[in-house]
Amino acid sequence: MAVTSKAVPASLGATTESTDKRPNKYRQALPQYTAVAPFFILFAIFGAFPVLFSIWISFHSWDGIGPMKWVGLAQYQYLLTDATFWKTIGNTLIIWVLSTVPMLLLALVIANALHNATRLRTFYRIAYFIPNITSVVAITLVFGSIFSNNFGLLNAFLQSIGLGQVDWLTQPWGIKIAIATIVTWRWVGYNAIIYLAGLQAISADVYEAAKMDGASPRQTFWRITVPMMRPVILFTAVTSTIGGLQIFTESRVLFGDTSSIGGPGDAGLTIVSYLYQSAFIKNQFGYGAAVGWALFILIVLFSIINWRLIGGRDEERLTRRAARRVERKIAAQNAKREAADVH
Amino acid sequence: MTLSRRKFLAAGTALAAAGLTGCGSRSSLGGSNELSMWTWTGSVNDGLIGQAEKAIPGADGMKLAMTRIGSNYKTKVLTALAGKSLVPDIVAINDDVATYFPNADQFHDLYELGAKELEKDFLPWKWKWGVTPAGKMLGYPMDTGPTALFYRTDIFQKAGIDVDPGAVAQLAPDWDTYIALGKKLKQAVPGSAITDNISGIYSYRMAQQPKRYMTPDGKYIGDQDHVRQAFDLAVRVIKEGLSANAQNSTDKNAVVTNGKLVAYNAAVWWAQLGPKNAAPKTKGLWKVTAAPGGAGNRGGSFLGITKYCKNPKAAFAFISWLESAKNQAEAFLDPVLFPSTPASYTDSRLSAPDPFFGGQRIVDVFADSAKKYPGAFFSPYDSIIDTPIGAELVNVEAAGKNPDQAWADAQHQIERELTRAGAI
Repeated sequence: MAVTSKAVPASLGATTESTDKRPNKYRQALPQYTAVAPFFILFAIFGAFPVLFSIWISFHSWDGIGPMKWVGLAQYQYLLTDATFWKTIGNTLIIWVLSTVPMLLLALVIANALHNATRLRTFYRIAYFIPNITSVVAITLVFGSIFSNNFGLLNAFLQSIGLGQVDWLTQPWGIKIAIATIVTWRWVGYNAIIYLAGLQAISADVYEAAKMDGASPRQTFWRITVPMMRPVILFTAVTSTIGGLQIFTESRVLFGDTSSIGGPGDAGLTIVSYLYQSAFIKNQFGYGAAVGWALFILIVLFSIINWRLIGGRDEERLTRRAARRVERKIAAQNAKREAADVH
Repeated sequence: MTLSRRKFLAAGTALAAAGLTGCGSRSSLGGSNELSMWTWTGSVNDGLIGQAEKAIPGADGMKLAMTRIGSNYKTKVLTALAGKSLVPDIVAINDDVATYFPNADQFHDLYELGAKELEKDFLPWKWKWGVTPAGKMLGYPMDTGPTALFYRTDIFQKAGIDVDPGAVAQLAPDWDTYIALGKKLKQAVPGSAITDNISGIYSYRMAQQPKRYMTPDGKYIGDQDHVRQAFDLAVRVIKEGLSANAQNSTDKNAVVTNGKLVAYNAAVWWAQLGPKNAAPKTKGLWKVTAAPGGAGNRGGSFLGITKYCKNPKAAFAFISWLESAKNQAEAFLDPVLFPSTPASYTDSRLSAPDPFFGGQRIVDVFADSAKKYPGAFFSPYDSIIDTPIGAELVNVEAAGKNPDQAWADAQHQIERELTRAGAI
């Protein structure tokens, strides 16, 4: 391209002098921009536009067909005084804790076992990952018949060992535990595989050194593995938070697509299922959008908290620890020297 | 043909351009000689649609192109309407047809297309449901959902009750006698239930009433006695221990399969969804009779012609042909849609004895219910009102909530929602 633009000016005269010196920047970059454009065009249409449009809708009252009516902040006002909305936040957080904590702990243990496994490694890795790629709807249907009150497998088992029946799908805690179990079952393998990748990145030297020093497996796990896995744990904690706050399919499939989407007493109604119920069952798209933005703020908030708790100023902490170690070493050397001097 | 990079890129660009400009250029879905129609699975007879796909009777040169929408049917219809392009010509509408009334301008007035002449063929109350309070006809009647009492003859016999449909109807003409009957059944066969859950009683009691939640001029009456009585009746059935407490679909099927549900006041479509699907082994053990508390209706659907329709005349020719008495009788055989045209009820295909119900002619019971049903006004806000009441009823049954508190909470929630919706 540059060659042709140089060849042309002679016949075109003075006006093209500037292009002769400096070929058009934009023209030169055009092929590159064209090459990356499809993503940005698609993103603008299917990503950015809906996001911006949902802000616009949240200031309106709209049933999906007729004209939108501007209501200003009324949807958000309603949201703040809506007992159901606050209840969904509580439900979501409880389900999130009930699922994430056991899930990440289990994943770490499984990853450790996978890391140390000597036989059938690939088989185990695939086996643990399979729940994640199975359809949530299918999983939930299966779990639905496991947890089903009167004729569920779990209750049949409990009764057979004389523990009686638990109303899993009608009692508030039963519902939350059922949903949390499904989430844990589905994501534990996924997180385990991520942890496994993190484990394999830890140099074998560190472990050898620990072995030489006579560290027990437990000490190795808590003193070496966990601290060195910190960035990976942070990653899974943040993604699990985002995922946990967006739990939706499980309760929807357990309790159907009707008005009772959250089960009896709305005990399984999560924020996203409330959003879905408002927008797509009750056709209040403005309110649904407002719930969506409230959820967005919540996710940002929780990601920050997670970051502070688990990752929080990692480098600073490491350098401080290193500095202390150096200080101690110097102190020890000084002590030794002093002892030598005495003699 | 070799595929060079240049050709590949050119083809890709052309496709992308076609895709982007494709939207917005047309307002209705399908080719110029095609009428597009959206419906959900199991709402029309395949044979009849197959005929119309070759040529629509009474509309020369037009063909039908039907799409069965899987789940979230209404959401997809609303999305299409909101997009204002590629909207189907004809849409099926469920029994919540009134929720479309505030947006009646999105549909053709079927009266203007000649519906008036056909009005006499249909059940009057069903016809009225498709007409807005302003007198515009939006929904053309499809099937209905008349209610009746289903019962298990073998269990009734064990309790020493005469199983003849006439005798059972006489034994339990209203809800009080029905509850007494339920108690007798429970004594004879422990564990027997006369409803799957609390909502079953409430919904079917409301389905018998001549009025519901709003008056046609927009006054809220959902806090009045007729609703409270249905609410209290449902609570009473629970307190008597006559509910199977089956809240989800797995449990609902299970109580039919294991014979816990011995009698159920339900709509005609339950015959298929309930016993025939969930408990095929009970074939011959069921019978149907007039429901306690009178005739009722729950469910049933409509057809609407959107304002984007490219040929409203042909569309009306199609829907009036599809919903003629003769063709509705065909749709009753498969997929079991109960006709809204009384002329169908004497059709030999409907009145054939049903072996699943011990050779009973069940159509007589449901036809009677359909004709006697008083009809009630459905407002655009009925589902907003119904949801909190239903949820609170479940709280009473599943969590033991105090019924008075549940009623108060439901009314409070309804008031909030209706105020926001601008209904009151």
